[in-house]
Amino acid sequence: MADKKLAFIVQRTPYKSENPKLALTHAISYQTVEILLEDGDTVTPTVCLVGDGVIACLKDQKAMETYGITSTEMHLKSALLVDLDVMVCKEDLDRFGISESMIVLDAEDMGADKKIQIVPFASIVETIKNANHVLFF
Amino acid sequence: MKLAVFVSDYRLNVDTLDRLTSAKLGIILVQNGVYHATLKENGKPSSLLGKNADYYVLMDDLETRGLGSATIDDNIKVISYGDIVDLIFNEYEKTAWL
Repeated sequence: MADKKLAFIVQRTPYKSENPKLALTHAISYQTVEILLEDGDTVTPTVCLVGDGVIACLKDQKAMETYGITSTEMHLKSALLVDLDVMVCKEDLDRFGISESMIVLDAEDMGADKKIQIVPFASIVETIKNANHVLFF
Repeated sequence: MKLAVFVSDYRLNVDTLDRLTSAKLGIILVQNGVYHATLKENGKPSSLLGKNADYYVLMDDLETRGLGSATIDDNIKVISYGDIVDLIFNEYEKTAWL
């Protein structure tokens, strides 16, 4: 009976490398992983967007319309739909001049209750400290 | 030489660009290079935009990333894929990709 905490730290821009999308896909897969665990064992992932990674949460991404691919915005919403904790670094948003009105804050249109949390970097450091495994993307 | 340089990433390209010289320089921002046209870190525009060049940014790649053309500076022309083809064939002799 144990809970493993995973911290997915996204620090690169979306698209081109697709690192943020890869991190989100891995984090979302925690639901599937639990099928393979012993009874009572759980995995709790948290996705943290820091540095250039905060750009991933800009809203109105039209990747499907322009290139026929799922947008990083849609991946973020899918993460909220499966109740993942998603944190975005406030200092880095401020550094880029990105306001709350410019980013995805929830996935209510998909029926998700979870919301993206804008937090100080200290909170993300705390998440890293409390994680059993830290994965950088 | 008339040189068009495609900038496709947000980091690590400025040093290389500084070493390129040409009679006419065009900088075409595509893929993640479009962030140079829109993001202002600590209120400052990208240092890449300080060169003596004609600047272009691809609309499709702006829209893909959730960026509109409203925040683009007047000295950067928002263009389509068709416009890029015209630039390559009509305006520049050589192209480079960073």
